[in-house]
Amino acid sequence: MTISKDKKIRMFKTMSRIRTFEDRLQKIYRDGKLDGHLHTSHGQEAIATGVIEALSDQDIVFSNHRGHGHFLARGTSPRSIIAECYGKVTGTNKGRSGSMYIVDTKRVMPVASGIVGGNICVATGSALASHLKKDNAVTISFFGDGATNIGFFHESLNMASLWNLPIVYICENNQYGEATKREEHQKIEKISDRASAYSMPGVTIDGTDLMTVYESVKKVVDRAREGGGPALLECVVYRLRGHSAGDVGPYRPKKEEDEWNIKYDPIKKFKEELLEQKILNNQLVEEIEGEIEKEIEEAVNFALDSDAPIAETVSKYVYREEEDNE
Amino acid sequence: MSKCMYVEALRMALREEMRRDKNVFVMGEDITRYGFGANRGLVDEFGAERVRNTPISEAAIIGSAVGAALRGMRPVAEIMFVDFIMIGMDQIVNQAAKMSYLSNGELSVPMVIRAPEGTEWFGGGAQHSQTLHSIFMNIPGIKLVIPSDPYDAKGLLKSAIRDDNPVLFFEHKQLYTQKGEVPEEDYTIPFGKAAIKREGEDLTLIATSWMVKHSLEVAEELKNEISIEVIDPRTLVPLDKDTIIKSVKKTGRLLVVDESPVNGGIQGEIISAVMEESFWNMEFPPKRIGSLNTPIPFSEYLEKEVIPTKEKIKKEILNIFSS
Repeated sequence: MTISKDKKIRMFKTMSRIRTFEDRLQKIYRDGKLDGHLHTSHGQEAIATGVIEALSDQDIVFSNHRGHGHFLARGTSPRSIIAECYGKVTGTNKGRSGSMYIVDTKRVMPVASGIVGGNICVATGSALASHLKKDNAVTISFFGDGATNIGFFHESLNMASLWNLPIVYICENNQYGEATKREEHQKIEKISDRASAYSMPGVTIDGTDLMTVYESVKKVVDRAREGGGPALLECVVYRLRGHSAGDVGPYRPKKEEDEWNIKYDPIKKFKEELLEQKILNNQLVEEIEGEIEKEIEEAVNFALDSDAPIAETVSKYVYREEEDNE
Repeated sequence: MSKCMYVEALRMALREEMRRDKNVFVMGEDITRYGFGANRGLVDEFGAERVRNTPISEAAIIGSAVGAALRGMRPVAEIMFVDFIMIGMDQIVNQAAKMSYLSNGELSVPMVIRAPEGTEWFGGGAQHSQTLHSIFMNIPGIKLVIPSDPYDAKGLLKSAIRDDNPVLFFEHKQLYTQKGEVPEEDYTIPFGKAAIKREGEDLTLIATSWMVKHSLEVAEELKNEISIEVIDPRTLVPLDKDTIIKSVKKTGRLLVVDESPVNGGIQGEIISAVMEESFWNMEFPPKRIGSLNTPIPFSEYLEKEVIPTKEKIKKEILNIFSS
């Protein structure tokens, strides 16, 4: 599979944007300037970037509580997500979501689920709709290793397999379910082994390697689109930060963290690759990183300068009424 | 107009809506071959893609209905007994109910979940007999419908299918074989409009679902002594408070009968909503009847102690007029 130089640079920018965005947001939370729940995806940027890059615009993406990367990769603006975290009217959900339940209907990304595994059934229904409508779209369901222990996972994969639905289940195995190491929450070595219980392909890949992610996703997405049915793709990564912004991970061995940070930081890895291939040079990297820094800085200022939502609208759209269709 | 059973009225509504809109489809456990039969026969006309038997997976049935609805389909999911809905509770409460709100109305979830609830010697015991609708009145984002006769069942189910929100549609098991006049042509009944099932002057008797029949019978039996107005709210969300308040202002007496356990039940909610407006019109304290705060026991002898019965309704009415 040949991937153009421009595409590679774009993907590098996406990953860098996610990292800079989340570094900045995490700092804001840790400085006590924002409250609420913030789950960053440090170390998982290659998954978001590779998966989204492998999709077509019509494909539906169901994100989760650790979802900034998914949205940023699809093109949701950093300023609208930061404004959302500040509870402002310019946010993705006009202040109704915060970091966890982001929605971007323009990019066919319905509400992300803050319930672990909660989107797996809903995403399966989206694939059922595609199956019934024959609309050629593939649905992606993102979830973590922890979510593979919940009943939704089993019920949905069984149903999708039975009905041969066009869906790809992407497990971002970051090796921790909150503070519990994976070995302490499930005995299986590979999560993808579970796919055999549903007679669907199950693949485990290095989720820190962008090109591997991209190529692997493309394969199973194309297969689903052609009527081949669902697949489970396990992307092994390491959650380079805590479960949420305030969590410094005292339950994890320092040595383990250091090793992953040094050897398996997906952005560092891809940057080195591109430098080696002479697609990037140090000056270009500096320029790109500088631009992104500036973009995020402006996004924060945009959020700070934005208005609060209007209190009188607080109960609007609890229900969708006919006049909303007009 | 012809007489048909409640279950047949439901089937008419499903058939008509499936003919009208190709996005409507039904799914549930064994819906083509087992159970109470609302979907029976639909597969012959619409095929197995639109009439889907599912694995025993309530979370995936409900959740996939949510996902399909988000994408423009109009699923009508059947849960075989309302008790089983609890397995899919997250998908209703945390997913379906939140989509419109969190997306500022950009997303909608036009889905219906149908489920039988209640008992009166159906022999199901603790996990197949409950009346759970009160729980859902406490969840913003869901509409709640409990029709009490075949005419309402057809008209309300058609409205439910056309509604852009998640609708829970609860049918009392005893009602399925009840007969009533049902027009063969297309009609809908709007949500939030109570039905005055019998006019009266002395007592406002609010009754839901299977309790409506009992209440009407009691009203007939007592007609020479007490003039009873029987009102069926038909939809609990939205609730037609105005019709109830207007009636209570006229009668000065209120009794609410619903099969939910009384603790935290809709009976108390209806009474509170009415009292805020009509407290000074009351001749007698408002009263409520529901199930005891007890699981439904299997034995016929025990069950009737727990659930509301015609006798209990009559006794309470006579109590209200005893002084």
